[in-house]
This record gives sequence, C-alpha cells and structure tokens, in this order.
Amino acid sequence: MKELLTSIRRTPYQSFAVFSSLLLTLFLSIILIFCLNFLYGLLGYVESRPQVAIYFQNQVSEVDILKVKDQLMSSGKVESVKYVSKNDAYTLYKQLNKDNPLLLEMVSPDILPASLEIFAKKPTYLPEIASFLNTVVGKDEVNFQKNVVDKLLSLTMAVRIISISFFSFLMISTIIILMTITHFKVALKRDEIELMRLMGASPAYVRKPFLDESMFLGFVSSTTVYLLFLGIIFFANPALQSYLRGIQTLFVDIYGFKLTVWPISITYAVGLYFVLTFFGVGIAALSTYLATRKYLSIERT
Amino acid sequence: MIQFENVSKLYPLGNAALSDVTFTIEDNEFVFLVGTSGAGKTTILNLILGDLYPTSGSVIVDDQDISNKKYTKLEELRKHIGVVFQDFKVLQDKDVFENVALGLHIQQLSKKKIREEVSEVLSLVGLEDKKQHFPVQLSAGELQRVAIARALCGDRHIILADEPTGNLDPKTTWDIMKIFKKIEHERTIIIATHNTDIVNSMKKRVLVLKQGKLLKDMQKGGYEL
Repeated sequence: MKELLTSIRRTPYQSFAVFSSLLLTLFLSIILIFCLNFLYGLLGYVESRPQVAIYFQNQVSEVDILKVKDQLMSSGKVESVKYVSKNDAYTLYKQLNKDNPLLLEMVSPDILPASLEIFAKKPTYLPEIASFLNTVVGKDEVNFQKNVVDKLLSLTMAVRIISISFFSFLMISTIIILMTITHFKVALKRDEIELMRLMGASPAYVRKPFLDESMFLGFVSSTTVYLLFLGIIFFANPALQSYLRGIQTLFVDIYGFKLTVWPISITYAVGLYFVLTFFGVGIAALSTYLATRKYLSIERT
Repeated sequence: MIQFENVSKLYPLGNAALSDVTFTIEDNEFVFLVGTSGAGKTTILNLILGDLYPTSGSVIVDDQDISNKKYTKLEELRKHIGVVFQDFKVLQDKDVFENVALGLHIQQLSKKKIREEVSEVLSLVGLEDKKQHFPVQLSAGELQRVAIARALCGDRHIILADEPTGNLDPKTTWDIMKIFKKIEHERTIIIATHNTDIVNSMKKRVLVLKQGKLLKDMQKGGYEL
C-alpha cells in the first residue's frame, strides 16, 4: 500500500487523469444502467395493469359475459381474465369515493357496467384481442393501453440500444485513454523494467505495481461515483416520488430474480455497487494489462 | 559452470559476432574477456545471460542448455546472475538501499532478510553509510559500487561485468577491482574490459577475442591482442 501511494504521489497528473476518466465513464454508466432498469420497471408496471377492458351494456347477462371470458381464455393469447360484475364495480366505486357522499348517493349498481379485465400473454397480442372484443355482441366500450405499452416498449428499446452503444463507446475510449496514460508511466520506468527483467523478474512481477495502482484507482473512482449517485437519488427522491405517485414499487426481472428498482432496495443498491466496482476495476486492470503487454513481451534475438 | 561449445552468432544483417567459440569456465573462476571493440565480448556476456540465441552451438550455464530456451524460461537462471554495466544503470529515483534491494525484491525475500543482506553487501563495497543517498549525491565510483552491490545481492553466483571501469579514473578503477577480488572465491566473475593495467596486474585467466574468434585462452595471462 505504501509503494502504491508513493507511485501515485510521484505521478500525480497521470493518476488524476486515470481517476477522472474512470469517474466520468462510471458516472455515465451508472446513470444509464439506472435509467434502463427504471424504464424496464415502468414497463413491467404498465404491463401488470389490465391491458384491455371490455364494458358490457346493461342487458348483457352474466352467462354471456362468462362465455366471452371462456372464449378469451381458450385463445391461448390471454394470461388471465378478471370478471368485474356490476356489484364488484359498485364496491370499487364506493371504495374510491368513500370521502364523497354526494357521488355515492348519485350512483347505484345498475348504472355501473359489468366488465372483463384482460391481461395478454404478450403486448403484441393486444390489437388482436381488442379487435375480437369489438365484435362481441352487447359490448359498450373497449379500452386498451396499446399506445402506452407500445410507446414504453419502443422507448425502452431505444434507451437500451443507445445505452449499449454509448456504454461500448465509453468503455473503448476509456480503455484507450487509460492505456495511453499507462504507456507514459511505463515509459518513465523503462530503465527499471529493463533492469528488473535482466535480474530475473517475471512479466507478472513487473506488471503487478502497475496493475495494483490502476485497480486501486478503479476502486476509488467507482466508490466515488456510487456515493455521488446515492446523493443524487437522495436529493431527487421527492421529485421522483411526486412523479410516480400511485406507483408503489417498480421492479426488474433479472434471470428470474426480481429486484426492486423503486424505491431502491438494499439488494439492488448493493448489486449496483458491485457491478460498478467490477466495471471500474475491470476496465483499469484490462487497460493496464494491454498497455504493459507490449513492453514485457521480450524475445531473444 | 559455463560452457560454450562451437558457438557462433550471426546478427540479422549477416555479420558474425562470434565464430565457433568453445571454452569452459569453472565455478568461482575469475576470467577477463579482452579484445577490440566488436570482437564479441558483449555478445558472450549476452549469450550467458540468455539475452541472445546462439546461431549454432550450445551455451550451457549451471548445467542447463539455454541455447534454445525462450526469454521467459530463463527467469530463474537470471536470478542467479548479477550484471554490472559500464554506465552503472543505477535508478535515479531510488536511493542506494532501494537500488541494491531491487534484485532481492524480485526474489521475494522477506523485508528482514532484505535489510540484512543489503547491509552486508553495502559494507562489503564500502557504502554502508550512504544507503539513504540518491544517485545524484554519489560519485561515479560510488555509483559503480552500488551497481556491484546490486549484482552481488541474493545468491547471484555468476557476475558478468561489461567494461565496469570504463568510466572511472585509475584510482577508482583499482578500488572497484579490489571489490571483485574480495568476492572471487565465492562467485564466477567474468569481466569484459579494455583495461590493460588491470588484466596484466591481476594475473587471472584471459580469453582473447578477435573478430568473433577465440584467439587465446591463457591461465594467469596478460593483455594481448
């Protein structure tokens, strides 16, 4: 540790350049990762809402409505169908307007229509389900959130593509910057390296101090970025909460493991820190390895 | 033991640095390599160090045929060879102690062992009171002593010195040679030199090279070209 700090102190500008490049890259990366996770969480939330609803006219009997439900279930495209009878709708209405007696007085179960709330297996099935529902005899109205889901799907896809492209660009440019800086550092120690090789030092031994230093800087910058990110989330919390009012939780499904993105869970926060540190330390180590490889691949002539 | 058997070395442009050279140097022998510039002295040292491949013939060091071994396969061998250069190659950003300890760090010895061994070697070369000094604070003779101390540290029983006194005045040259004399019974010492006085005075084995050929091999010889 003492040697590592001495090396940083002896080349402060190079060390700062490594630190700041990593800081910028990791900061942009964590923002991208979080936005992407957040959007996926939002998409999951919207998909979990009733995606298509059909409201029936008053004269349609429950038996007919349940027949429509059976038809939908047998189509193979529907995940679940929930029947909301007139009474259920009235109970729900009462619950929603319990603080407004005037509204409660004006409405009776007869006025409210019975409905079916349909959840499709895939968002792409929604238009087909909606057109089928439009042909149902006795339908009053068909509502479906195709536009919302479509927009969110295309937004998520766009953010994903942009994120991957931007992330790759950031990684490659950071690796090149770090390699160039490490080249400088290696060039400064060229005599020492030559001497060490003559005295029997292995490439791994010569590379170790460079690797240790870059990995340390990778760790410090990822930790700094993480603390910055937590600070931003802490200050943005009230604004986000008011924007997301009514949405209790958002989560992403990562290989069957559900992580709560909003409000940020401990597991997600810890996972994010590990991912960030892994990238920070990984990029630093990789670029140092590549930069030193050229100088250490000595061949007898 | 170091053995050269019919060793030739051609450089890429075709000029012969060594032609069919054969000799054996026993353990703890003191040998001078003499010859004009380009005679092949440095090539012999580089072949022993495993820095060069021989074009033909075999080079055996410590019972290992190193003729065809890759650079990275010779790290263990190099840990037992100390090298002293004409231009000292002392690291400017390290003090005397750190310079001398470099080889011991490579051998991954404990800090205590490194401290003990560096102190021992520094007292051998007469620099025990200068271990905190940086190279800019030392004279040329002292710098060469640092280089010798570095070459001696850590069980390095073969010492290769390429013109070790080339940059030194006569008095300092003799001081340096006294150090080599002190250690000659424990190590194999091979010194490439142009210094006639030293070779003639020390009466050690002399290998005379001319245009890559071994011209003479004299026990207790003098400087002859």
